[in-house]
Amino acid sequence: MHVYVYDDYLNKSKFNRTINRMEIRLTDLGLNGKILRLAGIKNIKAAIQNEIRIGAKTIVAVGNNQTVNKIIGAIIDDDIYGDFQKKTLLGIIPIGEDNSIATSFGIKNPEDACNILLARRVEKIDLGLAGSYYFLNEASIQSLGTRIDIGDYSIETMERGEIKIINLLKDKDEDIRSNPHDGLLDIVIKTKRKDHTYLNAKNFRISNPDEKLIVDGAVEINTPTEIGILRDRVNIIVGKDRLFE
Amino acid sequence: MFSKDNKSEKFKDAETIIGASIKVKGNFQGQGNIIIEGALEGSLKTASDVFIGHQAKVVASIESKGAVINGEVRGNIKAKGYLSIGETAKIFGDIQYGEISIDKGASINGQLIMLSEEHKRNERTKEETETPSEK
Repeated sequence: MHVYVYDDYLNKSKFNRTINRMEIRLTDLGLNGKILRLAGIKNIKAAIQNEIRIGAKTIVAVGNNQTVNKIIGAIIDDDIYGDFQKKTLLGIIPIGEDNSIATSFGIKNPEDACNILLARRVEKIDLGLAGSYYFLNEASIQSLGTRIDIGDYSIETMERGEIKIINLLKDKDEDIRSNPHDGLLDIVIKTKRKDHTYLNAKNFRISNPDEKLIVDGAVEINTPTEIGILRDRVNIIVGKDRLFE
Repeated sequence: MFSKDNKSEKFKDAETIIGASIKVKGNFQGQGNIIIEGALEGSLKTASDVFIGHQAKVVASIESKGAVINGEVRGNIKAKGYLSIGETAKIFGDIQYGEISIDKGASINGQLIMLSEEHKRNERTKEETETPSEK
């Protein structure tokens, strides 16, 4: 059974036409299922986990990065699965702005997303963890004044710029290799001096008293915080144009 | 081994790159090639090669398979394989090497010690035992 989770902002009338077309397409493909509207739900995690307990096989985030971010924590929780229950799949139907996660998975638009759901190409990928927040793409923070502690050593940046902690590339033009199956997070530091720093790690601590860490462009969190990776933790339905092997 | 002149080649192969505006403190260890263009204090060890850029300031002992030194290093260097010291290099410490080349203009304050054939053979055997060949 598919459960479609609609984000709050889709209530706006400008999305009506897109949603109608998407729903017709899903019905044509025989993929219709239950609709859960986040606008009326106080405890999103509990509502989604309840659907999983009663047999949802695929949870589809209809919205943007923030929608995926709201859902992901609910579906990876091992406690909700019975002994013989298969892990629920995550699908995405991108609508509106801010959809880098869908782009990474090769999902370009709502119509494309419906076809991808039908094809059901599944990839198991790593999931980043920043404090208690999960991320699929990346977490980022201003570089000046940020300290990263990795095992026996620490890294500090002397220039303004950006630190990205990447699990899954969101831009195919990015000049680094990142693999969401390797159990490692890529740390990329680019400063205004145009110098590049690149390294990878499994677990580390990041701190900057003046800046916040932005997770998947959706959530801002205070530092210091622990960053880690959960290997092969999410089963995602992806398109063939995904930005990873 | 890094090609001294081909920057893009070395960047493509590197597992870790420390940029010019970065300061690393502590014991930095890796398996792959490491490029240091910034500052490092502590120690640096890798099973592969190390490239120290001309702007880099390293106050650390370095242990690697091969190394290219173009910046300032205050500490001992042990390169079991080939060590290349560029014209902009300033080294304050003892150097142990398998093979070496030193460019005109490089400054070295320390002893140069060539690793014995026996030592190199032992290192090679150790490497082979650690990474058994695929069948």
